[in-house]
Amino acid sequence: MAYNILIVDDSPAMRRVVKRVVDLSGVDTGKYLEAGNGIEALVVLRSEWVDLIMTDINMPEMDGEELLLQVRADAMLASIPVLVVSTDKSEARIKQMMESGADGYVSKPFMPADLSEQMHRLLGGGGTPDEGF
Amino acid sequence: MKASDFASLLPDHCSEVLDAMYFTTVLESTIDPNDASDDPCGPDRPLPNVDDFAFQLRFTGDVSGRFGLCLGASTARGLAANFLGEEESDISPTEVAEVIGELANMLCGAVMSVVPSKHKFVLSHPEPVLGMPHSRAHDLLLATLATDSGDIHTWVTVEGNA
Repeated sequence: MAYNILIVDDSPAMRRVVKRVVDLSGVDTGKYLEAGNGIEALVVLRSEWVDLIMTDINMPEMDGEELLLQVRADAMLASIPVLVVSTDKSEARIKQMMESGADGYVSKPFMPADLSEQMHRLLGGGGTPDEGF
Repeated sequence: MKASDFASLLPDHCSEVLDAMYFTTVLESTIDPNDASDDPCGPDRPLPNVDDFAFQLRFTGDVSGRFGLCLGASTARGLAANFLGEEESDISPTEVAEVIGELANMLCGAVMSVVPSKHKFVLSHPEPVLGMPHSRAHDLLLATLATDSGDIHTWVTVEGNA
């Protein structure tokens, strides 16, 4: 089964790096979808099937926390796993995002294997973790 | 909290980011909490070279201020190539700027994540700047990270404590 993955980050460079990690992760990927903030992400989510959302927190217009809350409040989107990828590694932030409904949290800088492991966990298979690392 | 309090945090946490995501090793770090006059980016002066890259962002929380960095074009291209996993020749100046902006974001985030705080820090988005804060006008810490990709000049100003 090929999974559609939505990468939400206001940094195009970071989206490229995350995409590269996904490429190397062994996850069978269908579509790569990208958004620069939460508003753009919601537009994508309402027009495309998405199996996993990987989102930054600190973004303009709508940040990752608001995106997470809106996804969880929308019956059509609520079941999509959300993996937070953020520079903020403080315990308070991680706890807050997990309590808001995040399914996983990876802090930047990240090791590619850590991101890959979280993806495999949330997708429940779809390849061998750490393939390519 | 004073800018000088960041002296014990900045080198180690910047080094972690550079090592993990930019495949760059910090060889030596130099801290100067008092005087910006010798900094090549110069207080309230234009950057020494027109093709230098300098970005700054604001942090707001229990302590508020600014974090910034400045580095030469060659160093910036090398870091961008490492970060993106591509050849320097394949990376446009716009892409280099995006990578260095993200570097500023990650360095600031890494440092602020370990600052004791009752509240979450909010970071603004990295913006290009043409100079750096003046040591006479700000509580300022300067740190130069000598890396195997070249020097990275960083600064932190503290402008308020909650």
